[in-house]
Amino acid sequence: MEPIVIAKNITKSYTKGLRALDNVSLTVNQGKVLVVMGPSGSGKSTLIRTFNGLESFDQGELNVLGIKINSTHDERKIQKIRRKVGMVFQQFNLFPHLSILENITLAPINVQKRRQREANEYGMYLLNQMGIDSHAKKYPNQLSGGEQQRVAIARALALKPKLLLFDEPTSALDPERINEVLDAMRRLAQQGMTMVVVTHEIGFAKDVSDQVLFMDSGKVIETSTPDIFFSNAKHERSRKFLNQLDKH
Amino acid sequence: MKRNRKIFFQLGIFIIFITLIAILINNLTINLLRTGIGFNFNWLLKPASFSLAEHPLPYSASDSYAWALFIGWMNSLKVIVSSLVLSSLVGTLIGFARTSKNSLLGLISAGYITIIRQTPLLLQLMFWYFVGFLGLKDNISIHIKNLFKLSNQGIELPGLTLSSEFSALLFGLSIFTSAYIAEVIRGGILSVSRGQWEAFRSLGLSERKGLFFIIIPQALPAIIPGLTSQYLNLAKNSTLAIAVGYSDIYAINDTIINQTGRAIECFLILLISFLLLNLVITNFMELINRIIIKPIKHN
Amino acid sequence: MNLIITFFIKLRKLFFSNVLNSIISLIIILILFSIFFNIFGWLIFNANWKVVTSNLPLYAFGSFPANQQWRPATWIISLLTLSMLTLLGPEWKWLRKNLLLAWISTVPFGLYLLYGGLGLLPITSRHWGGLTLTILLTLCSSLLSLPFGIVLALCRQSSFPLVKKLSAIYIDSMRAIPLISVLFFGQLLIPLFLPVGIEIDRVWRAVFAFTLFVSAYIAEDIRGGLQSIPSTQIEAANSLGLNKYQIIKFILIPQALRIALPALTNQSIGLFQNTSLMAILGLVELLGIGRSILANPEFIGQYIEVYIWLACLYWFVCTIMAVLARHLEKRMLINQAIV
Ligand SMILES: Nc1ncnc2c1ncn2[C@@H]1O[C@H](COP(=O)(O)OP(=O)(O)O)[C@@H](O)[C@H]1O
Ligand SMILES: [Mg+2]
Repeated sequence: MEPIVIAKNITKSYTKGLRALDNVSLTVNQGKVLVVMGPSGSGKSTLIRTFNGLESFDQGELNVLGIKINSTHDERKIQKIRRKVGMVFQQFNLFPHLSILENITLAPINVQKRRQREANEYGMYLLNQMGIDSHAKKYPNQLSGGEQQRVAIARALALKPKLLLFDEPTSALDPERINEVLDAMRRLAQQGMTMVVVTHEIGFAKDVSDQVLFMDSGKVIETSTPDIFFSNAKHERSRKFLNQLDKH
Repeated sequence: MKRNRKIFFQLGIFIIFITLIAILINNLTINLLRTGIGFNFNWLLKPASFSLAEHPLPYSASDSYAWALFIGWMNSLKVIVSSLVLSSLVGTLIGFARTSKNSLLGLISAGYITIIRQTPLLLQLMFWYFVGFLGLKDNISIHIKNLFKLSNQGIELPGLTLSSEFSALLFGLSIFTSAYIAEVIRGGILSVSRGQWEAFRSLGLSERKGLFFIIIPQALPAIIPGLTSQYLNLAKNSTLAIAVGYSDIYAINDTIINQTGRAIECFLILLISFLLLNLVITNFMELINRIIIKPIKHN
Repeated sequence: MNLIITFFIKLRKLFFSNVLNSIISLIIILILFSIFFNIFGWLIFNANWKVVTSNLPLYAFGSFPANQQWRPATWIISLLTLSMLTLLGPEWKWLRKNLLLAWISTVPFGLYLLYGGLGLLPITSRHWGGLTLTILLTLCSSLLSLPFGIVLALCRQSSFPLVKKLSAIYIDSMRAIPLISVLFFGQLLIPLFLPVGIEIDRVWRAVFAFTLFVSAYIAEDIRGGLQSIPSTQIEAANSLGLNKYQIIKFILIPQALRIALPALTNQSIGLFQNTSLMAILGLVELLGIGRSILANPEFIGQYIEVYIWLACLYWFVCTIMAVLARHLEKRMLINQAIV
């Protein structure tokens, strides 16, 4: 099995003395789904944002798809990583001035220098996969949250990435809209996509993930398979967190 | 490595910039030498030998250019400050009228605003001057008892005579600026949420009291920045005085250039005058901001 | 009948809803009536409109040779047609897509018609004037100041401290000084900064000065737009692998322009009005023509007629511009989720 992400002892602080990431190490293998959980402010976003260079870090080493980066934050290497890693955000972050299809084809045309027609065709294929090809000509604000998030997934897929990062992709959605996004993610996992997903959706984590990583105060508290984590977590703090999640 | 590139890049830009300036200055020197004018400020102390119709301080043609410029400054300040007061008063009234519940009043003030804002200020100034004042026949004058007299000589109030040039400029600038100030006021009032109106009404406060004690204090933070920029515009627009023959700082610079050909020097003087004026106005408004807004926010 | 009754009820609601309101309304109506009667009476019976009617070609084209006046006329008519087309929202897709291009190409088209050459009789800019020159000054200066303003705004946001400082100084000092001094600079001082032997004619010096001035204002409007784009947009673009220049080109500038659109259209309406300042600096644009007609002994003293006529013209064009602007804003808003 080929490792896609290898993080070694990554440490980062935004403000001196306060560690957003504290000596984090982890490995994500090809075709696997890692779910990251933890209370708010525990450093989940910071962690996955280091994977595509949206955040730099102070110590440690990161190997993404064979490209090694460290605290120097080498722009050129990060650019290389970003072409192979897709990211989906909590707030969708679609480009409001571009139509749905243009949102998707922007990067293939300008980063990968694909031809417009080819990019459009693949974009339509992806929209079709996400079940929203009828909206291709509309603009983001004309779509519901769930639809926008599926566009965002399609946009991340357009560069044919080897790794997908999700930062709480369903947290900004109405409850009845959550499943349409989770279903799309499930299908991706079945197709063998390597994914790192920050989420609090227990059902999704149980069904889809290969591993659950639990963080608190920037530290990795435990990494277990979902079976063990949800039924018999090793750590007191993980159990407390799960209890609180259940109550909501 | 990356930092080095950044520094090199900036150095490159800086060199290009300096070269450009150097070429321009070189051309300028050649041109000035060719015309034999040169560049210095010695002339400032020579007698101006032109007379000024309006001077708040003693002035005669034998006074120096520097003194003439100072008089120009005073004249500018005079018209700016008085238009500032007048336009604020009129603008506030119209701004309120625009938001009033009386639709006819709202309609009229809307009409006033579009007419004033959609025609050039220069045209309006000329209108006030040539039609409003000079247009009056020699024997026509409008009296209101002995308090107010309007004729082609200007406006006479007890103890105060305003020349027709000054009056036209004052009128034109104030009316023009008031239309913009009205929009600022309206914007400020509309920026206060509807809930606040409903809240004071439900407390049984009268419309007028609610407006003055609830709405306006909350609208002020949105109004002050808009007012500041209108006042700055007013100051800049006052240079159109030259169109009605009022001797403001720009007009006097213009006269001096025509007389001495010292265009570059005068341009610099004008530039510095206005940078100073801007500083004065922004600091003044900052002061108002501190005196009025801060206490409101702390309550 | 019913209609009339509802109309009166509405009228009552609007103007006479309570005692105070009714009194105010009544007084205003009385004052308005007396003013209108006086003004209309004067306009119809006393005013001498010959000063307008006999000089119409002058107002429109300045001293453009009479047998060539079809050229500026064609240009102005094509501008009006284009305005109508823009407002009506043409059905044909290719036209809608090329509308912007059409607007931009009105400038070279107009310049060709005015200058002549290539089969048309060449005419120097000394003969340009009236509304034609006013519109030309507005269009050329707007078109040039937009890219210039965008560059300035980007420079002011740049991560190079030197670039940032220089553009900030330029923008702030330009915004501190009156337009007339910049135009004056354009007419009197630019020749001093040029190498001996090179001359630029008055019209282009004016366009240059307007561009210097307006681009500083545009830069600030666009900077406001840039600042209101949420940083998450840049993150999203970054995570797609777009580089710095692509982000500026595809994400930042289009969004900043949309956000700044109302301010930008106001700038160009202001610019249109401010071209009148050239009347005191030696160009015979619309106001300048008015002044020179008033200097003609035949029409001396007819200020009111000329000024009212000019005010109507300016007001009319400004209103067209404002309507176009609002139309554009509405169309842009459709594509815009966050503002
Ligand atoms: N841009 C930032 N500047 C300063 N502190 C930040 C920033 N982003 C996150 N933090 C801090 O880092 C910690 C981890 O944040 P984050 O990774 O967003 O947590 P999570 O995604 O798990 O809620 C928090 O304490 C947060 O306040
Ligand atoms: Mg987070």
